[in-house]
Amino acid sequence: MTAYLVTILILASISAIVALGLNIQWGVAGLVNFGVVGFYSVGAYATAIVALGGGGAWGGLLAGVLASAVLSALIALLTVRLTDDYLAIVALGLAEVVRLVLLNEAWLTGGPLGISGIPRPFAGLVTEANYPVLLLGMILLALAATLLFAEALVRSPFGRALRAVRDDDTVAAALGKDALSLRIKAFAAGGAIIGLAGALHAFYITYIDPSQFTSIVTAYAFMAVIAGGRGSNIGLIIGAGSIMALLEATRFLKDFIPFLDGTKLAALRLAMIGAGIVLLLIFRPQGAMAEPRLSARASRPEAELKPDRLSERKVLPHAS
Amino acid sequence: MPRKPVAGMLPVTRRHALGALGASAASVAFPFVISARAQAAEIPIGMVLPFSGATGAYGPDMKKAAELVVGRINDAGGILGGRKLRLYIEDSETNPTTGVAATKKLLEVNKVEAVGGFWGSPIALAARPIILAANKVQMVSASADAITDGDTKGLIWRFQAKSTQWGPAGAKIMQSLGMKKVVLLAQQNPFVLAMIEPFKAEMAKLGGVVADTVVYNPDQPSYRAEVEKAFGGDPDGVFCLSLLTDFSSIAKEVYKGGFKSKIVALSIGADAEGKFLANVGAEVAEGIHHLQPAPPLDAPSYKKFVKAMGAPEGAVFLFAGNAHDQVCTIALAMEKAKTQEAALWTKAIPEVCNPPGEQVDDVVAALEMVRAGKKIDFIGAGATCDFDAKGDQLNRSFLHQVIEKGKNRIIGTVS
Repeated sequence: MTAYLVTILILASISAIVALGLNIQWGVAGLVNFGVVGFYSVGAYATAIVALGGGGAWGGLLAGVLASAVLSALIALLTVRLTDDYLAIVALGLAEVVRLVLLNEAWLTGGPLGISGIPRPFAGLVTEANYPVLLLGMILLALAATLLFAEALVRSPFGRALRAVRDDDTVAAALGKDALSLRIKAFAAGGAIIGLAGALHAFYITYIDPSQFTSIVTAYAFMAVIAGGRGSNIGLIIGAGSIMALLEATRFLKDFIPFLDGTKLAALRLAMIGAGIVLLLIFRPQGAMAEPRLSARASRPEAELKPDRLSERKVLPHAS
Repeated sequence: MPRKPVAGMLPVTRRHALGALGASAASVAFPFVISARAQAAEIPIGMVLPFSGATGAYGPDMKKAAELVVGRINDAGGILGGRKLRLYIEDSETNPTTGVAATKKLLEVNKVEAVGGFWGSPIALAARPIILAANKVQMVSASADAITDGDTKGLIWRFQAKSTQWGPAGAKIMQSLGMKKVVLLAQQNPFVLAMIEPFKAEMAKLGGVVADTVVYNPDQPSYRAEVEKAFGGDPDGVFCLSLLTDFSSIAKEVYKGGFKSKIVALSIGADAEGKFLANVGAEVAEGIHHLQPAPPLDAPSYKKFVKAMGAPEGAVFLFAGNAHDQVCTIALAMEKAKTQEAALWTKAIPEVCNPPGEQVDDVVAALEMVRAGKKIDFIGAGATCDFDAKGDQLNRSFLHQVIEKGKNRIIGTVS
């Protein structure tokens, strides 16, 4: 039982880290990354390849984070003139390119067979059966570090500048902000975090193949950010946790409800999550927690008498 | 400065957040409270089967077959002195990550002694280290050679032909149809790729020529380019190593393109429990030959199984028989070893499945004989259930069928 909870916590924490990475890109900087899974798989594969190629587990981890960050920066640079839907399409295309490379470059990635026996950090310290607990500890540390980093980033002048670029890049540029460099940095920072999650995925499963990296990874990351509140780091950890809890808890329904078989349950789970997201967007479009912002009204009391401009803002301006 | 809620938004307090967390924790924890009580004297076994995703078509029949056996064994008084089997089934969603979570759930929450099912090599390979670490038995219905490679601690058993066995069977069928110059059209997939070299070797031995090998990626919107390349040279036959979705598109392209080369395909693409015909219609499917590791169709054990499944006589269950055999093997080996401890009864599997011994195909009768101390040779519904030292099944035969006027006609078996 405990070990199963450990599994759920590991998977939930990894998806929360992915969501934190996406939140920097999409939530804070407004860069729609529909290719999350591409960066995630690059992180996992770079980790596996370097770890097995003599870099060891730690070398692999570093390689995973770097590979994903560099790839992210490159994509952000290439798509300098693209925002909104167009960036989303490029990111989607990149994920597809990555998938095809993983599938076909068998000399490097093992092709469809994938890579097995990925070494794990600190593997010698505990028995194999107890290792997941140790790994969970490391993953929780990574999650906490990522969260602190993301929070610091959101509240820093850099984060404010990013939000300014997100909301209106012309205005931000007119005020002297270098929109291009801000975007590249945000995309690379988010990519590094997603790559870290990919590396942790490789350490947990120890076997990776292309069929593990399907677009559902991207979908779950977006769901977590939408459910948790775009721009709010704490909120999206709740979001990622709830989605994983919902996905895994429904597993148990069929053990107790006799007429519910696997086929029905599979359809029902997805339907429930879809319905949940729709209801959430209708009744609570800002997610579990709203983005923390400094309110201009606090220093201009008379503004409260006027209609609230903030709440009229489209909550998901880039998600259409 | 005081934080004021923005108009139009509900204020989220710490209490709200904690409440939401608590509710989600409770929803996860609630079922465990019940499950802990329910499984006192029962022997839990598990299966990871696909009910959704690309291979979702195969889960339901495998589940039905496994439940059938569990029901029969339990109705006849169970095993190990009256203990009942309890079967837990999880959906793999045709995704290895989900398969891993499902396997963990079975091992840790349901405390299963064996995890069976496993349609699809990537899922079987991803779950393998976890099951081995837990010292439980893994039974797969998947083909990749890697599943039984390396140190399996004697815990892994394959209820399926290995990929390398499919290739020669295809070559023999093409030979029997008089095809000399052939082309391979194969999906990029571990299970399929392992067939290619053995196929070429067998083809060369039989005096045929493999003119070209076209490997394509799955999930493409169109396979026109690949079809042109494979069929364009007008070979006698094309061996299509494809799964259902891609083969449906390929067959349509071939029909539209008016190519004359004959197609030999895998039944998992060209039949898929009737789904292929439903996808493309009788006209497109006309004349396509296909093969699959067959259950021994003429064996009494298989006929009994078809009847028990409530299917018409002659129905071909590709994988359901394997699920049936997995549960039978678990029960027999436990009874033989007189323990539910996986590491111990796994050693008894060859003793109850391999010759020499009295052949028996009914699990209840077989259990009786084991209790009476007889040496048995269990014959399954999916195969004769004999294993080599690595845990791979021996004597898998292949069924050769052709689609005529919207129906499958059996041509024969190849081994």
